[in-house]
Amino acid sequence: MIEFRGVGKRFPDGTVGLDSLTLTAREGEITVLVGPSGCGKTTSLRTVNRMVEPTSGSVHLDGRDVAEGDPAELRRGIGYVIQQAGLFPHRRVIDNVATVPVLQGLSRREARARAAEVLERVGLDATLAQRWPAQLSGGQQQRVGVARALAGDAPVLLMDEPFSAVDPVVRVELQDELLRLQADLGKTILFVTHDIDEAIRLGDRVAVLRVGGRLAQFAPPDELLAAPADDFVAGFVGRDRGYRRLGFVPATALRLSDLPTRVEGPDGAGPPGEWTVLLDGDRPAAWLGPDGARHDLGSLYVTDGGPDGTAASDGAGTLRGALDATLSSPAGRGVAVDGEGRYRGGVDADDVLALLERDPAR
Amino acid sequence: MRAFGYDLDVLVVAHVLLALVPVLVGLLLALPLGWWAHRSPAARRVLVPLSGALYTVPSLALIVFIPVVLGTPILSPVNVGLTLTIYTVALLVRSVAEALDAVPATVTTAAVAVGYRPAGLLFGVQLPLAVPVLTAGVRVASVSAFSLVTVGALVGIQSLGTLMTDGFQQDYTAMVATGIVGSVVLAFVFDALWLALGRALTPWSRAGV
Repeated sequence: MIEFRGVGKRFPDGTVGLDSLTLTAREGEITVLVGPSGCGKTTSLRTVNRMVEPTSGSVHLDGRDVAEGDPAELRRGIGYVIQQAGLFPHRRVIDNVATVPVLQGLSRREARARAAEVLERVGLDATLAQRWPAQLSGGQQQRVGVARALAGDAPVLLMDEPFSAVDPVVRVELQDELLRLQADLGKTILFVTHDIDEAIRLGDRVAVLRVGGRLAQFAPPDELLAAPADDFVAGFVGRDRGYRRLGFVPATALRLSDLPTRVEGPDGAGPPGEWTVLLDGDRPAAWLGPDGARHDLGSLYVTDGGPDGTAASDGAGTLRGALDATLSSPAGRGVAVDGEGRYRGGVDADDVLALLERDPAR
Repeated sequence: MRAFGYDLDVLVVAHVLLALVPVLVGLLLALPLGWWAHRSPAARRVLVPLSGALYTVPSLALIVFIPVVLGTPILSPVNVGLTLTIYTVALLVRSVAEALDAVPATVTTAAVAVGYRPAGLLFGVQLPLAVPVLTAGVRVASVSAFSLVTVGALVGIQSLGTLMTDGFQQDYTAMVATGIVGSVVLAFVFDALWLALGRALTPWSRAGV
C-alpha cells in the first residue's frame, strides 16, 4: 500500500510541481495517475522512491515513511519501469535483468538464474538473453524493462509512461501482458500515463491530476466515465466516454437470438435468400448474403472467458462488445461465440439498445 | 640498433615513455576534474575555459618555465613529462565532461531508480558508457603528446626529436627524415592501440539491430 499524505513539491525556482496530494494506492491493485503534461504525475511517482524529495507532506509505504532510511536501499525494494525502458546498453539482456538481484547481494550466478526465470515470465525467448539491448525491438526492450523491475521481487512497482514510446499495436500487447502478469503476481502498481485510454484499460482506480498537481478525481474507471467530477475531468476523459464506459458494463442480461446457419460444404445449395451464418464445423466462418456472396463476420461478441479460461479480452462479454458486434456486422446482427470460438447465436441491435435503456448509470 | 651515432632503441623507448606516461597520468587526473565539471555547472564554467587556456601556452615556454617554478634540473625529462601531462589534462577535462554528458539521461535515471549509489553509478554505468567519447579524446591527446615530445629535443631531452635537431644542425636529411617518420609511426601505432582498447571495452556499441 502506498499512501500520499498531503505531498507537495515546490521547486527552487518557485514552480509548484505538486500541490498537496493525498491518495492511497491499494495493495495488489493498479493505481493509475493520469493527466496532462505538467500535472506532476511523474513528480509524485518519484516521491515514492525518493528520486524527488517532497517539500511538504510524506509518503508511506506499507505504513512506513519512505523518508526514513537509506534511499538506495529503499529503491532496491521498489521495481521501477521507465519510458523507453532505460536499459543499460553495455550489459546483455540477462545482466540488465540481473541488476537488482546483484545489488541486493546475490552472486552473479544466482542473479542470472533469477533473471532467466523472470525473462521467461514476461514472455521473452531465452535466446534473447545474450543479446545487447540495441539488438531488441522497442517492444522487447520494454519487456526487458518490466523484467528488470520484477527481478528484485519487489511487492511495489512504479511505472512511468512505460509503454508510450512503442507503436499502438505493441502497446496493446504490452498492456495485455501487464494485466496477465498482474493477475498472477498481484503487485501494488503505481502507473503514470498521459493516455486516458491506457489509464482506463489498466487501472483498478484512476487518479486524474490537473496542472499544478491537484487531484481532480480519484475513482474506478467506470465511475470516471459515468460521472466525471467536473468539466476538466469530463473534457480529459473525452467525448465518447459514454460509449467507452460500455466496455465496463457486463451484458449479463443479453439474450442471444437464433440466426439462420448453414454448414460449409460442397457448393450447390444456392443463395439462401436471407443473411445466413456459414459454419465451419462449430465455428462461424463467414456471413452469406441473400445472394449467396460471402462477407466478413465483423467483430465477434465473446460471451465469456478466453480460450484457456482466462479473463475475457478487451470488451468481451460487455455491452461494448455486443454493440461492436452488431455495428460491424454486414448483416446488421452480430455473431456470438464462446471463449473457445464456437458459434453460440446472434446479437440483435434492438436487444443491446434495450439493455442500454435500462442501464442505471446512464 | 645504432644509426647516426645514436642507439635508436633507446631513443624509441625514451620517446614512448615520455609521451605515454603523461597521457596515462593526465587521464587519471582529468577523470575526477571532468566528473566535477559534468556534475557542477559552476565548476564547468571555470574548468573548461581554464583547461582550454592552458592548451594555448606554447610547449617550449612550459618546458623552460617548469624548472624555474619547480626547481627541477633544466635537463630533467620531468619538465617535458609535466608539460605533456598539463596538455593532456587540458584536452581531456572537457572530453571527460562531455563523455559523461553523452550518457543518456534515461539510463542514469534508471540506474538511480534501481538503487545504484553514486560510486556504483559512476564506475558501473557512466564510465563504461562514456568510453566511446572518451576514447576519441584520449586519441587526440595521445597523438598530440607523441608529436610534442620532439620539442623536448630543443632543450636536450632525448627522443626521436633528437634526430631532427641534430640532423638539422648537421644538415643530414636522412637523419631528420628518420626522426620524423619514426615519431609519426609511433603516434600511429599508439593511436591504433587506443582505438583497439576502446573497441575491446565497448562490444555493445557495435551491436546494431
